[in-house]
Amino acid sequence: MSNDKGTEVAQSQNKVRRRMPDVAPLLGFLILLTIFFTVTSPYFLDVDNFKNIFVALAVTGVVCVPGTMLMIAGQVDLSVGSSAAVSGMILGNVVNSYGISKGLLAVLIYGLVIGAINGFFVTIIGVNSLITTLGTLATLYGIALLIGNGQTLMMKNFEWLGTAQPAGIPLPILIFFVIAVIGIVTLRRTRYGRSLYAIGSNPNAARVVGIRSNRILFATFVLSGLSSALAGAILCSQLSAGDPNAARGLELEVITAIVLGGASLAGGRGTMWGTIIGLTTIGVLNNGLILLDVPTFWQRVAQGLMLILAVSFDATRERLASKRR
Amino acid sequence: MSNELVSLQGIHKSFSGVEVLHGVDLTLGAGEVLALLGENGAGKSTLVKILAGDIEPTSGSIDIQGSKLAKLDVYQARQLGVRMIFQELNDAPALTVAENIFLGQWPHSGPFVTWSEMAAKAKEVLDRLEVDIPVDAIAGQLRVGERQLIEIARALTQDTKVLVLDEPTAALSNVEVERLFAVMDQLREEGVGMIYITHRLDEVARVADRVQVLRDGSSVLTVDAKKATREDLVSAMLGHANAKNVRPTVTDTSEAAIKVSGLTSFAEFQNINFTVNKGEVLALFGKVGSGTAEICEALFGLRSITAGSVEIFGKQYKTKGPADSAEQGIGYLPADRQRLGSFPVRSVAENLAVRSWKHMGRFGFVNRALEHKAFSRWAEALRIVSRGSTQTISTLSGGNQQKVLLARWFEAGVNILLLVEPTRGVDVGARRDIYEIIRKQAKESGMAVVVSTSDYEEVVLLADRALVMSRGEVVSELSGNSVEAGKLIAASS
Repeated sequence: MSNDKGTEVAQSQNKVRRRMPDVAPLLGFLILLTIFFTVTSPYFLDVDNFKNIFVALAVTGVVCVPGTMLMIAGQVDLSVGSSAAVSGMILGNVVNSYGISKGLLAVLIYGLVIGAINGFFVTIIGVNSLITTLGTLATLYGIALLIGNGQTLMMKNFEWLGTAQPAGIPLPILIFFVIAVIGIVTLRRTRYGRSLYAIGSNPNAARVVGIRSNRILFATFVLSGLSSALAGAILCSQLSAGDPNAARGLELEVITAIVLGGASLAGGRGTMWGTIIGLTTIGVLNNGLILLDVPTFWQRVAQGLMLILAVSFDATRERLASKRR
Repeated sequence: MSNELVSLQGIHKSFSGVEVLHGVDLTLGAGEVLALLGENGAGKSTLVKILAGDIEPTSGSIDIQGSKLAKLDVYQARQLGVRMIFQELNDAPALTVAENIFLGQWPHSGPFVTWSEMAAKAKEVLDRLEVDIPVDAIAGQLRVGERQLIEIARALTQDTKVLVLDEPTAALSNVEVERLFAVMDQLREEGVGMIYITHRLDEVARVADRVQVLRDGSSVLTVDAKKATREDLVSAMLGHANAKNVRPTVTDTSEAAIKVSGLTSFAEFQNINFTVNKGEVLALFGKVGSGTAEICEALFGLRSITAGSVEIFGKQYKTKGPADSAEQGIGYLPADRQRLGSFPVRSVAENLAVRSWKHMGRFGFVNRALEHKAFSRWAEALRIVSRGSTQTISTLSGGNQQKVLLARWFEAGVNILLLVEPTRGVDVGARRDIYEIIRKQAKESGMAVVVSTSDYEEVVLLADRALVMSRGEVVSELSGNSVEAGKLIAASS
């Protein structure tokens, strides 16, 4: 019995040690960043400012949840930004003519359809997900422009989704929180989640061991489609308009957050917690730069550099791991 | 010997404290073919890798073309004209034959490849080998045997003195084997020394001048190839191991678990009939490509069945693919552990439990504590050496990885387990463990086991019965005490 307990302790220690090297450097960086901005800006360490940070992150965060699942399974969805834009344009159109509930229904159906389209090409036709979703990225951006004829669609009475604050917490943050918790539990505790790790780690072995990889990947692409539709709706509500350019570059932010958070581009590795920390790092960096009056163009530069940094980190770790073997 | 090319003296090699070569000597003369025989794990590959500078010996001297070398690295070995040809191809399938022959060393003027010169030179080399392959053909579209000849041609363009061929014929047809031998005869004329590693005893007399047999890391026999009889070689290879190879007590049950009738899959295998009873272990023995592995693949739904039928516990069995087969209580352990078996970056517990998640929680959830418990249970029963259930599987030794993958199907509780080369790349000690485990598990759970293998020792130590296969057909059946190495080898070659 005491022996059992011993191994359990050893296991939990192992667990800590195993997760540490993946997220620890990033967490350290985030803490340093926080201290830096706290010292340099009097507005940074403030409840309202942190609300701002997380409201700004919520849209990206919602998409990051299925995004992390896809990355773990060795897949990627680049179409999320354009898809969110189309979602906003559809919402703008339908809400103005038929009301909010019909608008939300249309967006829901749209999310299912676009996810199923991506999933169809990747799992049934067998096209690489990077190429498939690069194609849908371009196509959907075009469609977003077509819907509004290149213009922004103004809309009324739909601010609540993006701006309501039940119990003082902005609704987008609550939505993100709920989805993130579902994501954490799904990845760690369900057969579906564990299968994603197996598929990403070795797709051939997954097939041979009898995991229905195609079904699982298809479902994950559908989730990604739904999340981009929801993200588009939140964004649309915050802007009170459907803007075809509103979510441009969303895919970049999503991938940066996920990779920063320690998910391997080769698949098989990554955690939702890691992604959340990666996301927070991006949010804090963007916010801090604004508070310091750095021109917004620099945000893009910083984000691009972060992505390269994150990928280099991933590659270095991979190389070190193979050496250790 | 004045024309001595290679002389290895007293080579010792230890891997993490375990000595695998105990002072082996090897000599090779110019224009000589030395056949190197031995069981899996006898040390053949380690020895030739030392010659190629791939592995550094713990002690011993290496002498190539009269220059004594304290240390040999891959680059030096290449400089001295040592080339290796492996069973697996090392070519660029998308490039042409000519490009492959000069791979990486294309004739050029400035930055441009001089195609005409390359084609002419390539043709010259192939002509010299009396091989008729168009130099502008795409390598990937050729047969495996032809691609192997191209690799030999490449070795020839690089001033090769010593050519090591590591089981090159395993995947070749008879015609291709004969052509390879003709090329080797040609090279012999040109004074190239060759070390030829093989499992096929019938090839020794045809191609070799001398034979050297390794057993458990020591050289046990070196004789003139023309004087060596098959019996001499077999007994040298098996040695004491043969005496120790006690046949397991044959399991005798009468309830048929799986019945295969007239099973055919294109030309891979034809009209296969067998029955495996509950708790019984049946071996399908044959060379690579004889159809044994393909039968297991077909039964698991990885290969289409063109004719015949399968019954499991008296019921017609059909499968839509691996997932469907697994759900019907069939397990399959592929030969290629890295590519098809393990999830390398994941923990041992996860690798073990992946097929049993359904039983480890409800409503789609997985109780991770049960994963770890299952691992602890099997780790004890199967003597899996690890640092704990969270260790990444790829950091385990080959034998321990294989035990985890076996436990995967044991934990899933399958009725029928298909194993393909279950001890490939597994050290000798762990191999015995694995045989014992499989037999014990089969007996206790009533699981029927089909083993596809090209290793006769495996058949002797593991199987209740054996079907010997050649070119997709069953050529003989052995059971009980007539399952012995000599009969297996005789029947398969």
